[in-house]
Amino acid sequence: MGAACALLLLAGCGPKAPGDQPAAAGAKTATLPDMEADLARTLTEQPGFYQQRPLSDLPAGLPWQDGSDLPEFADPAARKGGTFRYYIQDFPRTLRTIGPDATGGIRPYLLDYVSVYILHDHPNVAGRMIPGLAREWAVDDAARTVYYRLDPDARWSDGQPVTTDDIVFTFYLMRSPHLGEPWYNNFYSTRYERLTVYDRYTFALTAPQRRPGLDEQISQFAPYPRHAFKDFGPGWLERYQWRTLPTTGAYTLLDRDVDKGRSVTFTRLTDWWARDKRFFRGRFNPDKFRLDVIRDPDKAAEAFARGDLDMFPLSLPKFWYETISSEHPAVKSGMIVRTKFFNRIPRPDWGLWINSHKPGLDQKDVRLGIHYATNFDLVCAQFFRGDAVRLETRSDGYPFRVHPTLTYRRFDPERAREHFAKAGFTTQGADGALTNAAGARLSFTLTMGRPDLRDLLPILKQEALKAGLELRLEVLDSTTGWKKVQEKNHDITLVALARSVEPFPRYWEIYHGSNAYEDAYLDAAGKPVNKASEGTPNPKPGKVRVQTNNMTMTFVPELDRLIEAYDQAETMEEIKRIAVQIEEIIYDQASWVNGWALPFYRVGYARHVRWPQGFNVAKSRTADEFFLSWIDEDARRETEEARRSGKTFPAQELTFDPFAR
Amino acid sequence: MRFAFPRLRLNPLTRKKLLRFRQIRRGYVSFLILCGLIGLSAIAEVLVNHRALVVRYEGRWYFPTYGAIHPGRDFGLPYEYEVNYRDLKTQFAGTNNWVLLPPVPFSPVENCYRNETFKPRPPDWSKRHFLGTDQINRDILARLLYGFRNALIFAGCFIVLTYLIGITLGCLMGYFGGWFDLFVQRLIEIWSNVPFLFVVIIVASVVPAGVGMSLGILLAIVVLFSWTGMTYYMRSATYREKARDYVHAAQVLGAPTHRIIFNHILPNTLSTIVTFVPFTVAGAISSLTALDFLGFGLPPPTPSWGELLRQGTSNLNAPWIVASSFSALVVVLVLVTFIGEAVREAFDPKKFTTYQ
Repeated sequence: MGAACALLLLAGCGPKAPGDQPAAAGAKTATLPDMEADLARTLTEQPGFYQQRPLSDLPAGLPWQDGSDLPEFADPAARKGGTFRYYIQDFPRTLRTIGPDATGGIRPYLLDYVSVYILHDHPNVAGRMIPGLAREWAVDDAARTVYYRLDPDARWSDGQPVTTDDIVFTFYLMRSPHLGEPWYNNFYSTRYERLTVYDRYTFALTAPQRRPGLDEQISQFAPYPRHAFKDFGPGWLERYQWRTLPTTGAYTLLDRDVDKGRSVTFTRLTDWWARDKRFFRGRFNPDKFRLDVIRDPDKAAEAFARGDLDMFPLSLPKFWYETISSEHPAVKSGMIVRTKFFNRIPRPDWGLWINSHKPGLDQKDVRLGIHYATNFDLVCAQFFRGDAVRLETRSDGYPFRVHPTLTYRRFDPERAREHFAKAGFTTQGADGALTNAAGARLSFTLTMGRPDLRDLLPILKQEALKAGLELRLEVLDSTTGWKKVQEKNHDITLVALARSVEPFPRYWEIYHGSNAYEDAYLDAAGKPVNKASEGTPNPKPGKVRVQTNNMTMTFVPELDRLIEAYDQAETMEEIKRIAVQIEEIIYDQASWVNGWALPFYRVGYARHVRWPQGFNVAKSRTADEFFLSWIDEDARRETEEARRSGKTFPAQELTFDPFAR
Repeated sequence: MRFAFPRLRLNPLTRKKLLRFRQIRRGYVSFLILCGLIGLSAIAEVLVNHRALVVRYEGRWYFPTYGAIHPGRDFGLPYEYEVNYRDLKTQFAGTNNWVLLPPVPFSPVENCYRNETFKPRPPDWSKRHFLGTDQINRDILARLLYGFRNALIFAGCFIVLTYLIGITLGCLMGYFGGWFDLFVQRLIEIWSNVPFLFVVIIVASVVPAGVGMSLGILLAIVVLFSWTGMTYYMRSATYREKARDYVHAAQVLGAPTHRIIFNHILPNTLSTIVTFVPFTVAGAISSLTALDFLGFGLPPPTPSWGELLRQGTSNLNAPWIVASSFSALVVVLVLVTFIGEAVREAFDPKKFTTYQ
């Protein structure tokens, strides 16, 4: 009886009847989606967005420009050849550049750093564009439209020309529900109003509203090859997981160069179409660009010191002052060059994001107290060893100073206690945390999804207790931590949003009330609306809006009106004027404690790696972003010889600060 | 006598076993050393603490080791937060007031050099950092000692809970046998196939805000996946004992099931259990260390060995971190293993029991 029972329990686990598998696989191939058919259907269904016009409709007298008045930034003396060896921390979970898991450490090398966009912004001249796939372009501010002429030389890496077919496909792809990326769907639906195709090489993009720097706002994207996406549709994520796709960039990935779990090697296209174009010549120089998977940065540092890698980022104080310090034998013998480069980019907004929806934290005095109880001054000075500076405002590093006078609140336990007392927290408990008359402790959870910065938290905790504030620390892995704050389940979180290099900051995502509550504004009928201008503020909003970047849960009607005016502003002067008011309200709300920023990056590289005169460009975030370096093969041979013979070279430590503020 | 408590008066057999244990020198010495370490960690606050043992201030005595904090103003300093006793000592120099600090005057969670760069510092006996500091200037000896105490608390609770579940279920399986035994065995087989680490990651992500990953939750998860091992041993031991005459005799006398299992069978399987205890302790300490090492363990700034090991491996240019945490782990695990060996030998039934 018992044995029979056991058999029953084990039954369901056996292999399925033979024949199941092939039948299912057959069904799968038979139902491969037909992208072209779906695309054609989409074009007819959305005639307002996708428009086809004859070339004769192209407005006459447009102010065409091609960036030829701008300086080049690469070094004309750069030599092609050699292998550049670098590392990534994780083997990519996919080779797709969009969709789930696609934002890993390899994506910059598949897309962001190497693909040619329609236009690029000039990395040294703020607000000016340089040609990419488009050879020339014209901005018509009144019509909110930018016209483009694609470069007839532009080719995919498989030899196919880049045409407006690819542009149409890219918009179809980005707006497709099959993409599995709501963020892209939304971005390409709200930022663009219309795509007009005139002929094989001429097209125009129209934005829903007038903005200063329109070309900078809407031209920076990389098209996807239409001919390589024939079976895009439901289930594409799995089919494209490891497919290598044609690219417009200088580097291509061959199937044989993907060594799963170990390395990825990119190969330079010797007949790349943009090889001799302005702004592209002198860049993308090594023949091979090899990325080894080294999971632990400390190990990567050792590999670099030994000469197995050509470059290693030294921005973290530990690597700069200890691991690869000036005293390191490889630095002293000149094998490794240490370089510090001041860049000019919008700074990530590191800081404490206080969830003002949570009980206790909804009191402004508690939030102000937290400001004075948070010792980021100590973190900057001692933890970052004086490298980091505190952020003055939420929006540091833009081409203009967003607010002329605002700055951060300095650590001051006495003032913090004054504010906590105003909020009713007056009695000091046995462990030093304050309590109020009702017996509630002044205690909040500080959540962080960056395990690599975990050592910073105990410092904040110890200092906060001096003001009677208890911080309970919670370190989560990055995915879980991000999920938690996106669902607004945190009390306080230490996080930063990566920022694109843009001419002025965005506020809507981070501060508009409709991104805090679904029912922040109600129209006359009591239905929720997303704009302050379309309804009245709800005095008691209850539905938290999740998956938005308003992680401070700020809802201030006055601020929302300003943000809406800011987003409608048509001139730079207006934008600057409103930004000042917005920053003042944000400062007054005190739900974001100014964190730190590094005004530079540091890098170590082998002595045979050469760089342009000024090392890099103002808008570079990492040394390799613009592919300006090249390998000096003679010097490499010399280095290898020297390693064997023990010969040394003069030590080199360089600082480049023309872009420092 | 209505209830039969486990007898406090040792029977001759047990006394013999204990005597045998004492004779196995390596195990016995290890046992004494480990007891000493446990004793030290129990009074850790007196030995390693940022709070002073005694403060004499303006004619009054203070004993701040245990209890509520003393704000700076208690000793005439202009602040509300806890006084820094090391600074106090230097300030009192040359006055009638004095401070007596513990041998290691640092807390395991405190940044010991507030105005200096955060970086690991090598051992410095003059500053009483006997094992150096970690990368945010915390004393390593303090973190080791308090981490040891946490590990012991964890291991203690772990043993009690896993054995409570494992022994009860194992005995029941062995005693009842039949479909109950088969059914629970299948359940255990299914349960032990659930990947432990994934569950830890998932639980870490769904633990409600504010609770965090505390010792209790971590313990619950580890126990949840560790009780199964014990059931097998207890099941077979109970099966064997159940067939003995004394069990039949008790049944004939009308003793209830729970009494037969816990009063008659259990004491006779004790040698199995006792043999496993030291190895379970070792297992508990290493799994807590492993979880902390991987970052799924206790929340910062809780002192823990795993966290120290992780710091050590990512700061190989500060070898004193990895050396001290690694040696501590090895020493304790070796001690526990020696004790385990001795216990097993001392309690080996083949030496004293004669089968009829």
